Amino acid sequence: MEDSIRKMAEARRQQAEALGFCDAGIWLGPPVGFPLAEELKPEQLQRAMRRGFACGGLVSHWRGKTVSPQDGNLALEAVRPQLPLDTYVAWTALPLYPVEPGPLPGLGSLPEHVRGVRIFPRSHGYPLADWMLGSLCEWLVGHCVPLFVWHVELDWPSLRALARSFPGLSIVVETQTQKILYHSRPLFALMRECSNVLVETSNFVGAGFLEYAVGQFGAQRLIFGSFQPMNDPLVSLGMILDADISEAEKAMIAGATLRALMGKVRP
Amino acid sequence: MNGAFIVDAHAHIGLPGVFFSPQSCAEHLLTSMDRLSVRLAILGGDQTTIFEGPQAGIATLREVYEQSRGRLWYLGVFDARRPEDSLRVLNEAVGWPGFAGLKLHPSVHRTWADDPAYEQAWRFAADHDLAVLSHTWSISDYNPVQRYSTPERFEGYVRRFPQVRFVLGHAGGRGSGRHQAVRLARDYPNVFLDFAGDIYCYRLIETLAASVPAEKILFGSDFPWMDPAANLSRVLLADLDDRVKRKILVENALAVYRIRGAHAEH
Repeated sequence: MEDSIRKMAEARRQQAEALGFCDAGIWLGPPVGFPLAEELKPEQLQRAMRRGFACGGLVSHWRGKTVSPQDGNLALEAVRPQLPLDTYVAWTALPLYPVEPGPLPGLGSLPEHVRGVRIFPRSHGYPLADWMLGSLCEWLVGHCVPLFVWHVELDWPSLRALARSFPGLSIVVETQTQKILYHSRPLFALMRECSNVLVETSNFVGAGFLEYAVGQFGAQRLIFGSFQPMNDPLVSLGMILDADISEAEKAMIAGATLRALMGKVRP
Repeated sequence: MNGAFIVDAHAHIGLPGVFFSPQSCAEHLLTSMDRLSVRLAILGGDQTTIFEGPQAGIATLREVYEQSRGRLWYLGVFDARRPEDSLRVLNEAVGWPGFAGLKLHPSVHRTWADDPAYEQAWRFAADHDLAVLSHTWSISDYNPVQRYSTPERFEGYVRRFPQVRFVLGHAGGRGSGRHQAVRLARDYPNVFLDFAGDIYCYRLIETLAASVPAEKILFGSDFPWMDPAANLSRVLLADLDDRVKRKILVENALAVYRIRGAHAEH
């Protein structure tokens, strides 16, 4: 039996190495709401990514939510020299009006290593609405920057309206910080209606969710994220390794789609 | 299922009304088990018996066991809101093939885990040498019913019924309940932890293995709420000795739920 365990583990290691994981959900800074999680420090990034078989990724900072977007973006600027190869950052954005001090997406040119933007409408006190976020979305479309948002920060009708208003904007619904499971009905309905809506997989864990989504919408609509250090990256990684889909589809979810999105960004 | 050897110590079947589930029935679970080398699963009730009690459908679980050729074992739900009804049905089911113990769910049944209503369940388990699995979690600010199921509330019964093998399902959850769960598993020989569900904390398996004896930790999926694949690789790839992984993935569940003979053989 131990031999079987060893073989299963080794097969997974080899498969994980081959798939080229690129992690959309790496978080620096002190986690909030996860009392058992320990902060991931910049000097631990490389090791943490190696443990999760990630050879690239998108790094975010808790401060962008908990303190202010600008403080989070500055914190990410500070870790720039420590970013591993093929690893970029996601800045936090605010609506472009009223105008606030930076650094913020939409104010001047975007630093080269910023390859994604995240919003926290609920935490930062504004509605997810065209009249509030329209100018930011136009700017993101113009710079080919994907928009990330936690599902706990949005309401589904508003996201649908925004996705329809900006079909050229790639919107990645992130499955944290509570179960996306309970929102699977609106999530799947929205994915069917709006081809620019993608889903990040760190908590996309309902039985058969991956297979269903790939079958209905295509593997290009799913993006691997670990949400480490709050979550163990081996969870969402294992979901992809063991999914009943093709290796090409796994590779797309594991990293190809995120790399393509990050590669299109124009500073 | 050639070569399958893993035991999933915490799964369910049935359509969960609260979310869309593309895979939720016994056939889906068996297909998934085949793909992941899972030989047996313990069903901690199905949707009907969890929400309405064993009288609402435990016979169906026996049929599922038989149709699965002995792969899907099941627990009888003790509904603390209807203790007499539950016991009447459980008394009948206790000798059925595939019946492996009791399931408690204080949060669903809105009955505190230390409520006297559970006395009969624990006594029943003691009298019949059964294991008891309960849902447990931490205090949650967005899911207040979890307060019915925090681990420390079980301690009185654990102490009074040392002969009952008691599994803290979900290992106390993602917050302070975990510390209590670990404490109970350390302090009481009859307390075990399963990590079914979305207890996806960083290096959880290594942390648990460093905190309690390896014999105390059980692999579980919480299907269909979670895909069984979610918890498997984190064990296989954990920084642990293969003998420890073997206990977690196979042996501990067989021992706790007293699954022996041909069913237990690899």
